[in-house]
Amino acid sequence: MTLAVDTPAVLLLAPLALLPALVLPFAAADHPSLTEVPPDRVSLAVDAGLRLVAVVALASLVLALAGLHRLAGSVEREGRGAEIVLLLDRSASMDNSFAGRRPGGDEESKSAAARRLLLQFLERRPHDRIGVAAFSTAPMPVLPVTDHHEALRAAVHAIDRPGLAHTDVGRGLALAFSMAEGATPGSAPAVVLVSDGAAVIDRRVQDALRDAAARTPVHLYWLYLRTQGSRGIFGEPQQPGEDTPQAMPERHLHRFLGTLGIPYRAFEATGALAVETAIEAIATLETRPIRYREPVPRRDLAGPAYATAAAGVLLLLLAKLAERRPRRAARP
Amino acid sequence: MMAAEPIPYRLRWRPAGERAGAHPGSGEGGEGAFRRHVPLLRHPDPRRVDVRETARNPMGEVMVRRYSRRAAITVAAAVDLSGSMGFAGRVDRMAVVSELCATLAASAGRMGDRFCLIGCDSTVREDLFLPPTHRRGVEAEVYDRLMTAQPRGAGTDGLALVAGRLPAQRCLVVLISDFLLPMERIVAVMDGLWRHDVLPVVLHDRGEDEDLPAFGLVTLRDAETGRRRLTLMRPALRAEWSRRAAARRGALDRLFLARGRAPFHLVDGLDRDALAGHLLAG
Repeated sequence: MTLAVDTPAVLLLAPLALLPALVLPFAAADHPSLTEVPPDRVSLAVDAGLRLVAVVALASLVLALAGLHRLAGSVEREGRGAEIVLLLDRSASMDNSFAGRRPGGDEESKSAAARRLLLQFLERRPHDRIGVAAFSTAPMPVLPVTDHHEALRAAVHAIDRPGLAHTDVGRGLALAFSMAEGATPGSAPAVVLVSDGAAVIDRRVQDALRDAAARTPVHLYWLYLRTQGSRGIFGEPQQPGEDTPQAMPERHLHRFLGTLGIPYRAFEATGALAVETAIEAIATLETRPIRYREPVPRRDLAGPAYATAAAGVLLLLLAKLAERRPRRAARP
Repeated sequence: MMAAEPIPYRLRWRPAGERAGAHPGSGEGGEGAFRRHVPLLRHPDPRRVDVRETARNPMGEVMVRRYSRRAAITVAAAVDLSGSMGFAGRVDRMAVVSELCATLAASAGRMGDRFCLIGCDSTVREDLFLPPTHRRGVEAEVYDRLMTAQPRGAGTDGLALVAGRLPAQRCLVVLISDFLLPMERIVAVMDGLWRHDVLPVVLHDRGEDEDLPAFGLVTLRDAETGRRRLTLMRPALRAEWSRRAAARRGALDRLFLARGRAPFHLVDGLDRDALAGHLLAG
């Protein structure tokens, strides 16, 4: 915490604050001899207290006039949690239910289920630093890695907006990796890919992803929301010749992600309950002490200083009002 | 200057001075109140031969009348002029002192005694030193000098020098002070004046303690040192101050009585009747 003032020239008045230590603003009445008067402990305490109050009041006044404030800065904090980049699929199929239909009745679309469960996830992990990215036809950075959970909740709330056309997983991953790269050095961020399908990844994008994975040691999770009827990540080819990225993009994406050389785990969820289980699993895996810096804005301390001065002056005023002067005859 | 009304006083001792005055003196003399008859041979003063007593004398001796001599003394006012004497509470202390000294001077003049003023703070103040004098109207001068005097300084060492300025014969010394000094200093002053008859006049002003408020913050400034003290007055503290002041006056009474004379407590203004009564009581 660094304190500073706006107008240092006013601080030249600071020595004036010591004046009450020398003399209090009370009119003195003569007394023949105080040596015969016993010292009174209460009076001595009141005297010292009033002097102290006056010095403090004047000093606060000078500081307030000088514009005392705490400089903007940042504090380092430590919390338990993880740095996570949520990469969300915004393709049109996410708006369907797990059965692959338009949601109707009490059915829930995949994006709505993901939103609900991710919100619960955010609720439980207040110290996580989370970034949000989405992808569809093109990757969309939504929110950089941050610990402002209000913004995060808003970003997650937005994922059940009606989706767009295609699914460009490769460039979405590249974006997530680059966001994870910008996170706190020294920590291993996690990238959680939430999607209900995959696509063929361009070879150039594959190379770029390998480079990015080598540069940034992230933990990669794929939460695959499997639609009923889809063959899924772990599906085996049923006919020879079917084992191509075009025919089985999920299987091949899974295999490609496994070759990136980073910790990788895939979860396949066929319903909201399974999604919840998967998120629980990710949450338990990604809990480490993390250190992060939080920016602290400039804080104006003139107000508290004025308040202190006012309180001090009020006390002095009360003391002045309590002052009594003994009657004294005038010398001719 | 107000007209200083003289007040009578008498002594409990017989002054031995040569100068004729109003006080019954020691020894016998040729005039005054009749005392006894002595034979002419013992006191050869034929002017005082008492014919009737001589005729009545069975031995045929010639008898001479002897009279009690009346002598004059010196009344000295020794005034403490330290800073605390500049105090003005209910009354201006120096005005009271001036009035008292003028009264003493007028009384001494009326009684045929000499008056002497010695003002002292840390030393004897030469501007307030008046050697023993018979002069008429000296009371006006005494009053003016004291009224214009500025009590200052913190010392009372001058009181110890008073004895050196007094005549060698026994005087009536009126020691005027508030006696706000250490007891041992008072004892030293009194012992220095062993030769003289000392009447201490203890000045006390009820503004010192009784007039203080019961509640409130009071800042008092010591008249001698200039030191200030903030006091939170409360009835208990005020009672304690009054009690201590009374205890001090009691201690002063005992001290002065042990040296032969009760002090005169001059509270607030000068009460002539009380002073006259005190002086007549001796």
